[in-house]
Amino acid sequence: MQNELRQTCRRLLEEGTVQVVIGYGDGTDGQTFPTFVTRRDDVERLVWNERCYTNLATYLTRPEILALGKAAICVKACDERALVVLEKESQIDRSQLVVIGLACSTDGVKQPKCEACENRTPRWANVTIGDAAGETAKTTADRYAALQAFMQKTPDERMAYWKTELARCVKCYACRQVCPLCYCRQCIADKNRPVVISTSATLKGSFAWQITRAFHLGGRCIGCDECTRVCPAGIDLRLLNLSLARAAEENFNFRAGVDVEAEPIVGAYSERDREEFIR
Amino acid sequence: MSETITRGALLQRVSVWIGGGKSVIGPRQVKPANGSGQEVPVQYGRVASAEELLLSGDTRPANSLKEFFFPRHEKLYGYQFKGRQIELTDTEQPSTEQIIVGGRPCDAAALPVLDHLFNWDYRDETFNRRRELTTIVTIACRSFDSHCFCTSVGSSPVDARGSDVLLLAVDAERYEVRFVTEKGRRLLNGATTTANENATEPAAPPKRFEMEQLKEFLAGGYERPEWKTTTLRCLGCGACAYTCPTCHCFDIVDEGNAAGGLRARNWDACQFGLFTLHASGHNPRHNQAERQRQRIHHKFQIYPDKFGETLCTGCGNCTRNCPVGLGVLSVVEAIAAAPRENQSQK
Repeated sequence: MQNELRQTCRRLLEEGTVQVVIGYGDGTDGQTFPTFVTRRDDVERLVWNERCYTNLATYLTRPEILALGKAAICVKACDERALVVLEKESQIDRSQLVVIGLACSTDGVKQPKCEACENRTPRWANVTIGDAAGETAKTTADRYAALQAFMQKTPDERMAYWKTELARCVKCYACRQVCPLCYCRQCIADKNRPVVISTSATLKGSFAWQITRAFHLGGRCIGCDECTRVCPAGIDLRLLNLSLARAAEENFNFRAGVDVEAEPIVGAYSERDREEFIR
Repeated sequence: MSETITRGALLQRVSVWIGGGKSVIGPRQVKPANGSGQEVPVQYGRVASAEELLLSGDTRPANSLKEFFFPRHEKLYGYQFKGRQIELTDTEQPSTEQIIVGGRPCDAAALPVLDHLFNWDYRDETFNRRRELTTIVTIACRSFDSHCFCTSVGSSPVDARGSDVLLLAVDAERYEVRFVTEKGRRLLNGATTTANENATEPAAPPKRFEMEQLKEFLAGGYERPEWKTTTLRCLGCGACAYTCPTCHCFDIVDEGNAAGGLRARNWDACQFGLFTLHASGHNPRHNQAERQRQRIHHKFQIYPDKFGETLCTGCGNCTRNCPVGLGVLSVVEAIAAAPRENQSQK
């Protein structure tokens, strides 16, 4: 599969279809990291294995990467959903992008999110490499199992939980920087004339930041869980995202990034909207 | 002849310190309050009991010790508007004695490096007060991972710098005790025994780059393309700086309302675009490559020029905590090994 990936990328670069391939490169100890291949002979650096965690879609809105030219991007099925949202929100031009879909093996990439994975093969890629046989259908309950378990706690217990967890937040903003959908040129957390969200890594400041972050991703978060994976303090941010994703599904029958036809619930206008105030 | 202490005797002391109202800080497992399967890190933190401490010397905490001297948020003073007057209120100076048990040598070694900064043109009251109130017991590292590079920056797993006591594991139950300061000797007075046993020196991580080569590159390679090629994947978060034992940049903020508020010192990080953004809208460091260059220059050229010390202890936390596996080591390894013939290229 890795060879097929390299050959595909070599061809794309040779033909001049793209100027850069955004993929995974080999790191130490079998870890992988994002890599940007601009010369065909460098395709040998590309790898595909069960440790390709990063959702590379986050690079598609970065000026440093856009400057490299037309891109081909490697995505797993979960990452691919970010492309759907980015396109709906007019952040990327799909015609100027080659999407290389990477099908996950039965083991997936061994992250907590993989337990609820329902399709391991990307669906809208220009080229798909590998095939993931034996996909298992998942129910709504499977998707929100982690949240459901958490919601068994009383509100007081949940508040105590978040106080313990967010006390460790140092506001490094890794959650924001890694997120493919946190692409704002100026984040509200950086607004300082006047300050909207306290920059202090206090309980108050961290609650304000994490709640705002979750709300801004309501109906938009595609559940790649990158925020949770990269948090140096080990805060399970996924629970916040799941909560809003479930609200979107229950109330609007909407799941971000799974249907290319569906209009986003935030940002789409319809005269048939059921709410009076918006019509 | 050497001094040894048993793990039991050490933990007994820890219980006494905690019972006596002292703050004991050490590596501990951050407990997940829900069983979501998420990996939870080991961090330095205040422990409520001796049993919480992880003293094997095998796990590198995901944070550093600096926050117990230079907290991520520190109130400097309060203010109240009283009619047309402003009333200022001082903050209480730190007064709780702190004992760090099971610190890593690479964390302790950062503290004397930071002393220069916090006693430079201004003697920082709270930092120095906390330094005085703290006694540090480190444990020599028994293992290292691929991100450790202390030996490349002149340190080692048995570096006693910044420690008051350095412990080396003799076996699972005993440590050889190396007293570094009088403060350390007082701390463990009566808990150690004299024995004819020395711990074997633990294995040190291999040297990953030559400091001389790095300095040479920094002196002439400001415009080198490697800055961009090695840092392209940087996402611009502050995970490296905030888990680094030596990074110390901060911002001063006011927080409050029409009645009053407080002025505070908050951590800040050079990888944020906002860090150097001018009020005019101009940003002298446009992109991540320039911000990474600054970070490396500060650690290996600017700080050494100013204070004679490298602003890096080789702990590797920057790489371990980086969302995309980028850190001081990967950048420095690449540039120190870069071919020299292009050195003068502009």
